[in-house]
Amino acid sequence: MTRADIFVIGFTLALLPFLYSTYWNREGPAETAHIMDQSGREFTVPLSTNQQLSIEGPLGVSLVEIKDGQIRFLDSPCRGKQCVHAGWLKQSGEFAACLPNRVSITVSGKDALYDSINF
Amino acid sequence: MPIPKNSKQQLRTRVLSLLLIIILTSLPLSCSKPPQQHHKTQFMALGTLVTVSLWDVDDELAAKAISAVESELNHVSMTWHAWQPSTLTKINDALATGATIPADPATLSLLSRARDLARRSDQLFNPAIGKLIALWGFQSDDRPDAPPPPKAEIERLLANLPDMNNLIIEKQTLRSTNMDLKIDLGGFAKGFAVDQAISSLQEMGIKNAIVNAGGDLRAIGAHGERPWRIGIRDPQSAGIIATIDTGDDESVFTSGNYERFFTYDGVKYHHIIDPRTGYPAVGTLSATVIHSDASTADAAATALLIAGSENWQKIARQMGVSQVMLIDSKMRIHMTPEMNQRVYFRTETKPEIIISDLDTQSGNQK
Repeated sequence: MTRADIFVIGFTLALLPFLYSTYWNREGPAETAHIMDQSGREFTVPLSTNQQLSIEGPLGVSLVEIKDGQIRFLDSPCRGKQCVHAGWLKQSGEFAACLPNRVSITVSGKDALYDSINF
Repeated sequence: MPIPKNSKQQLRTRVLSLLLIIILTSLPLSCSKPPQQHHKTQFMALGTLVTVSLWDVDDELAAKAISAVESELNHVSMTWHAWQPSTLTKINDALATGATIPADPATLSLLSRARDLARRSDQLFNPAIGKLIALWGFQSDDRPDAPPPPKAEIERLLANLPDMNNLIIEKQTLRSTNMDLKIDLGGFAKGFAVDQAISSLQEMGIKNAIVNAGGDLRAIGAHGERPWRIGIRDPQSAGIIATIDTGDDESVFTSGNYERFFTYDGVKYHHIIDPRTGYPAVGTLSATVIHSDASTADAAATALLIAGSENWQKIARQMGVSQVMLIDSKMRIHMTPEMNQRVYFRTETKPEIIISDLDTQSGNQK
């Protein structure tokens, strides 16, 4: 085996992690929330930035909080507040909705564990 | 040490060869990832959030498919809505007068199926108790902040409680032998709508899809090389308690006491009313059923939650469902052997599992 052969083999091995992460590795920390409002319009927000969002619905404003990579309904104008009781969403695929105020949140990420959630 | 000229040429040739190999191998990998192979769309229908997932469908067909599903679900909602003006509310109004009314074959067929499932559930799935559901305030998109109904009112309805046997279906007509009969197909209409939606997708040639209406779903085909993976919600948190990989065409339906409820004076009242007591069913947090058709799975999940951990085996056997999981109020898992082979628990500590064979009805604790 010549020195050139050793170089080529070494270079190929060094390249393997890059190729693996590019084409095969589906893990990824970047998670996002998809928020749908009463008009059916969907907008995407990163979970990496702590913030509060006000989403207008037929009953009033649903207050949504993003904190430490999680998202939740902080307050809602609906009576039952089931959206608020749903708590934090953090695993890809989880969702919560305020049906009376027609606002929904779904969390997704590159490392989606489920295609759909049954409840 | 200097590299000889001959070796330098060799090195250059091999580096160029390596680059060529990388480019050639990367090209097909890039080409093997067509854009938008997985379409996932959400919209509001049937008074809930609907998610449609499609695999291996081009953008144009996906748009048509989403539109077809939305149209199908809206049609079911307009026909079978229990409290907003619909074909069903007109039927209920007419039946309450004692009249015999004509009905089209599709309506008669659906009501016949609901009646059959009700009979097989020993009337635990009872779509005739709309008045009782309304009394509890659950025939509303956003229940008023009111106390539970007075006991006397519940007892008055229980004294003459209708069931689907009071609905007489003959010669393309409907009539009721109980003036308190008020049909509410919650616990069935969603399953029927999901079945209709999947049928419309199949008619369009779509082989791989999930239609999820408010957490209840039917999945056909697969997600490429692997099956569709479904997460089942933990009834005591927003997290996932278990996963199921679906087969080629399966519905996964869960009835849970956490879906719709209100709290009054510190007591939680959920929306699944036990027709035997007139009060929300007690003892079971959730009932999950896997079955080929969504409407059967829907009705069975409701009936089994009401049946509870003591009686669910009999009802499951009568309704023809073999893949069942109940979670009781102590977080114990009750399952059939068939379901036990399908679920993979994701909890940190293994839950207490009780397996019951429907044929022998013997229980094994694990």
